[in-house]
Amino acid sequence: MNVDQLADRLRQDPLFMENVVRWEVMEAKSAQYGPYPPELDERIRPVLERRGVHQLYSHQSEAIRHVLKGRDVCVVTPTASGKTMCYNLPVLSEILRNDDARALYLFPTKALSADQVSELYELIEEMGVDIKTYTYDGDTPGAARKAVRQAGHIVVTNPDMLHSGILPHHTKWVKLFENLRYIIIDEIHTYRGVFGSNLANVLRRLLRLCEFYGSRPQFILCSATIANPKELAETLTGRDITLVDKSGAPMGQRHFVFYNPPVINRQLGIRKGVISEARAISGMLLKNGIQTITFARSRLTVEVLTKYLKDLVRDPLGNAGRVRGYRGGYLPTQRREIERGLRAGQIDAVISTNALELGIDIGALDACVLCGYPGTIASAWQQAGRAGRRKGTSIVFFVASSAAVDQYIVSHPDYFLKKSPENALLNPDNLYILLAHFKCAAFELPFEDGDSFGNAPAPDTLMDYLEEEHILRHVDGRYHWSAEDFPASEISLRSARAEENFIIIDVTNSAAHRVIGEMDRYTVPMLLHENAIYMHEARQYQVEKLDFDACKAFIRQVDVGYYTDADLNVNLSLLDVEKEEQRPSGGMLMLGEVKVTTLVTMFKKIRFDTHETLGFGHVRLPETEMHTTAVWWTLPDALANQYESDTLKNGMMAVANLMRIVAPLYLMCAPQDVVVTYHVKSPMTDKPTIILYDNCPGGVGLAHKACSMQEMLLEKCLQIAQDCPCPHGCPSCAGPVGEIGLDGKKTAVSILKELIR
Amino acid sequence: MNLRDKLRALDSRKKPAAPPPQRQFTDCWQHEEIREPDDFPGAFEVKRRTVMLMQGEDMPEWFDPRRILYLDTETTGFMGAGTVAFLVGVGWLTDEGFTVRQYLMRDYPEEKYLLERLAEDLERFDVICTFNGRSFDVPLLRDRFLMNRMRPACLDKPHIDLLHIARRVWKMRLGRCNLSRLEEQILGICRVGDIPGAQVPQRFFDYLKTGDFGLLREVISHNAQDIASLCVLLSRMADMYDHPERAAIHSEDVYSMGVALERMKHPEEARRCYRLATGKMKAQGQLRLAVSYRREGDKGQAKEIWQAMVIRREGGVEPYIELAKHYEHVEKDVPAALEMTRRALMMLSEPTLLDSDTVQTTRNAVQYRYERLKRKQSAR
Repeated sequence: MNVDQLADRLRQDPLFMENVVRWEVMEAKSAQYGPYPPELDERIRPVLERRGVHQLYSHQSEAIRHVLKGRDVCVVTPTASGKTMCYNLPVLSEILRNDDARALYLFPTKALSADQVSELYELIEEMGVDIKTYTYDGDTPGAARKAVRQAGHIVVTNPDMLHSGILPHHTKWVKLFENLRYIIIDEIHTYRGVFGSNLANVLRRLLRLCEFYGSRPQFILCSATIANPKELAETLTGRDITLVDKSGAPMGQRHFVFYNPPVINRQLGIRKGVISEARAISGMLLKNGIQTITFARSRLTVEVLTKYLKDLVRDPLGNAGRVRGYRGGYLPTQRREIERGLRAGQIDAVISTNALELGIDIGALDACVLCGYPGTIASAWQQAGRAGRRKGTSIVFFVASSAAVDQYIVSHPDYFLKKSPENALLNPDNLYILLAHFKCAAFELPFEDGDSFGNAPAPDTLMDYLEEEHILRHVDGRYHWSAEDFPASEISLRSARAEENFIIIDVTNSAAHRVIGEMDRYTVPMLLHENAIYMHEARQYQVEKLDFDACKAFIRQVDVGYYTDADLNVNLSLLDVEKEEQRPSGGMLMLGEVKVTTLVTMFKKIRFDTHETLGFGHVRLPETEMHTTAVWWTLPDALANQYESDTLKNGMMAVANLMRIVAPLYLMCAPQDVVVTYHVKSPMTDKPTIILYDNCPGGVGLAHKACSMQEMLLEKCLQIAQDCPCPHGCPSCAGPVGEIGLDGKKTAVSILKELIR
Repeated sequence: MNLRDKLRALDSRKKPAAPPPQRQFTDCWQHEEIREPDDFPGAFEVKRRTVMLMQGEDMPEWFDPRRILYLDTETTGFMGAGTVAFLVGVGWLTDEGFTVRQYLMRDYPEEKYLLERLAEDLERFDVICTFNGRSFDVPLLRDRFLMNRMRPACLDKPHIDLLHIARRVWKMRLGRCNLSRLEEQILGICRVGDIPGAQVPQRFFDYLKTGDFGLLREVISHNAQDIASLCVLLSRMADMYDHPERAAIHSEDVYSMGVALERMKHPEEARRCYRLATGKMKAQGQLRLAVSYRREGDKGQAKEIWQAMVIRREGGVEPYIELAKHYEHVEKDVPAALEMTRRALMMLSEPTLLDSDTVQTTRNAVQYRYERLKRKQSAR
C-alpha cells in the first residue's frame, strides 16, 4: 500500500478519525527557478548538467548572487532543498580561479561532515580538477595532518577541532589563514545555548587571527527554519547578514495528522498512553511496508518502542532487524550502519531521539510519527521534514501525549501550523564562556592596548583581570600569555562544563567486558545510578556499579518487567541580586544570579504496559552544582497567610506546572532550557517563592527575557488554568489532582490573580 | 556586581600584584663564554662523510665542524602559539675553543631582539645541530619568527638531530635516550645542582613576577651545559662511526650501529659493525652479517657463516632455516634442504626458555616448510 492509499483508507475509518483533531493537507509545490550566475567559473556548469541539474532553484540562485557580491549570507530552507549548492558552487568557482584560495567548512558533528563532503568530492571528481578537500578532525591520522595544513583547499572540520586543534596552532596553518576566502557553517540552528555561545567566541578568535594574517573571509551559513535566523547568524559571526529564506525547491504533497489519544478517565483527565498509540500507528505503517521514522522524546521511549516494533515483525527470518533504534549513546559505527540501512531501504522502521533531527543523510522517508511533541516548533518541523520527498506523497502523525504542552498543541493546531518556530538564543558574552575563550585568544595572539575581541564588552577589563591573575603579562602596550597552561583544553564547547563522559560497560559476559556506549556526566545520575534499569538497543540492563570517580558504569543484562525513573532534587542559593522590584501585590519580583545544586536521591520502578509504580529505591551520589541566572516571584505575606501550608504548597506546585507549559512557549526555547521550581519557604527569600532559571551555567538570557515579559507569562498561566474545562486540574493545565490535590488549581488561580494585580 | 567583581567571584583566590615592568626595551640579555678546546676531544675532526653515515642525509660539500651551529632553547611550555622560547643558546667551535652564546628575553618585548640576534648567528653557519630540534626547537622558533612577523627562512638548513641518531645506537642498551641520560652513561658528564626541565617554565614566570634574576641562574647554566654536551656528543658519535672497534666493549652498541648503517644503505660499514658484535650479540650479528652478504649477492659467504654457526651451535634454529632456504632456492638441493629443516624441527622440540608462543609460531612455520619440501621431493 502506498501513502495515498493509506491516507484514503484512514480517512474512511471512523474509529481512527474519532481521535484526529485536525487533518491538514499541504499541497505539492512546484519548483521555482532563478538565473544561473554567469560569474561562476565556466567549468562548473557542464558538470551540473551532466548530473541532471539544468537550472538552479530560486534560493540557490539568489544566495550565490549575494555571495558573489561579497555579502555574508545565511540560507534558510527546508531539508533536501539543495542548500549545499549555495556554498559549494561559489567556493569551487573561487578555487578554480585562484589556486591559493582556501575555504573552511564547519559542521556540528563528525557524522554530518563526512556526509556532506561526499557530495563535494563527487563534484570535484567529475570536473577532473585538482581541488583538495580534506576532513580534519579527531580521526585524521597524524601523518595526513601536515598535508591538510599545507595543501587543503577546503578544510572540513567541526567547532571542537577548530577550537582546540587549529586555532591554538595557527602558525602551522599560515596558508589557510592568509588565503581564507569563505567560512561555511551549516546547520547553524544547532548552535544555540551553550554550544552557540561557545561557537560565537571561537569565531571571534578565528576572525582575529584572519586579521593578523591579512584575510577577511566571507560567511555562508545555512539553517533550518527558526524564528530568528538573521539574528542568530549575526550574533554568531558579528557581521551583517543577508538572509535568503524563500525556498524554490519542489515539494510533494504532505498530510499532517494531529492525533489525540482517547480519554480513558474523564474525571482525572487521563488519556490513553502516547507510547501505545504511537506503537499502534507505527506498527500499522510497518505492516503496510511504508518506510517510517518514529521520533520519541527520550532515550527510554526509543528503547521501549523499538522493542515493541521488533516484536511485531519478529520471525525466524530475522525480520526484527528491519526495525532499529537510534540515539545518542550508540557507538558511531553502529549509527553509520543504521544510516546506510535506511538509505538502502533495508531498514523499514527506525525509532529515534532527536539525534536524527540533524541533516544526517538517511534519504527521505514516506512517513513520520512524532511520539509526543518534541518541545519546540523548530524541532517538530525538522523531525516532520524527515518524511517528504520532492515528488510523491508523505504523511506525518503527531501523537499527543497527556503532557500539558502536547495537549496545548493538539487543541490549538494553528499555534503549531501558523506560528513561526522558536528563537535560537545564545549569549556569547556569558562571562564563563567569554572569559575562557578570551584566554584562548590571548594565548593565540597577544592583545594590545585598546584591542577589541569581536564585539565583546569591556575587553580591557578582561585583560586587566587576567593580568592580576598572572595569566597575562602587560608590558609595553601588549598582554602576553604568561602561563604554562594550554587554555583550549579547559573548555568543552558542547556543555558549559568541561568534563569527561562516562563509559558504559557491559559485564554480562565476565570473560569479555564490552563498552557499549557513553553518557554525559549530567545525565548519568538520572539514568545510570546503581540498580537503574538501562535500556540499550531494546535490551534491558541493570546498573551493577557506578564508579563516579573513574567515570564508568558497569551494567549487566537482565530481563525484568519494569523500568526505572529517577527523582531529581533541586536546591538554590542566592549569589547576587541584579534587579529587585516591589509589585503592587506586595510580593517581590527579582532577577539575579543563583547557585543551583541538584541531587538524585531516589528512583521509582515502573511496570511496563500498565506504567504502575512497583516500588522505590535509594540513590547515593554526589550533588552537582551550577551558577546561573534566575528570575523569581515571592508571594506577599498577606496572601500566603490565607492558606494552610498544604493548600499553599498545592497552589504553588500548580503555578509552577502552569509556568512550565507557558515559559518555553513564550520564551521560545526548548522545555529543558528553563527550569521552573517552587519553595514554600525558600532559603533564598525566606518566603514562598516561585523560581525560573536558565538551565546552563551563567545563563543564555532566558531569565532576563522572562523577567521582561513576566506579566504576560503570568497572564498566560492564568488563562490556561481558566480556559481548561477540568474542575480541579488535569495534566493539561495545572497538573493532575493526584499531584496538586483538589484545591491546587483554585489556589493557583488566586495566587496568579494576586501576582498580576 | 560589576564585571570585575563577577570575574573575581569566578576565582576567589586573591593573588599579589606584580611589580609594574616599566623599562625601555632596546635589546635582549646576552652572555658569552669560551670553553677550553680540551673539553671537546675530536670535535674538530668530525667529517662530512661520517655525519652523512649517521644521519642518512646529504650535507653541504664545504662541510666544516667549525660551521655547525649547536642550538638549544628553554621554553614556557610545550605547544601552541602561546609558547615562547625565552632563552636560546647557541654554540660553535673556533680555534680558541667552544663558544657558548646565550640570548635571554628579560620580558616579552625583548623577544624580537632575541630573534634578530639568533637570525644573525644562523646566517653565519651552514648546519644546525640540536637534540630533538626537528620536532621541537626549530618548529617552535619558526612559530616565534612568524608571530613577530619575521622571516623564518634562516632556519632552513641541513639539520643534525642527535636525538634520532642516539636513539638508533643506544636505545637497545639504555632504553630512554634523553640528553642527561646520555651525558651520564656515554659522556661521563655529571651535573651538579641541575634544574629539572619540568621546573624551567615556572622559574621564568617567577622571575617575571619578582624581577629576581637569580631565579634564572640555574636555567642559564643548564642551557649552556646542554649546548656544550651537544658538541661533545656529536664528536663522540662521529668517533664511534669512524672507529666501531672502539665501541666494541658494548656489543649492543656496535650491533645497533650496524642496523642503523644498513638502514641508511651503507652495507659495507654495517658489516664491519656486525663482525665486531661479540658476546651476547654475537649470534644476531652473524645472522645479520650473513643476510647482508646474501642481499649483496655473495651467497657463498652467507652460506659459510651459517654453516660456521651450525658448527658452533650458535643462533638456535635460525641458521638451519637460512641454510634450508639456501639449499632449496640457490643450490636446488631439496634433500639437503630437507635435512636442515629436519634438524631445525628436532632442535625446536628440545625444551627451551623461550616464550612458548614464539616457539610455537616458528615450529609451525618450519613444520610447514618441512611438509612442503617432502611433497616437492616425492613429486620428483
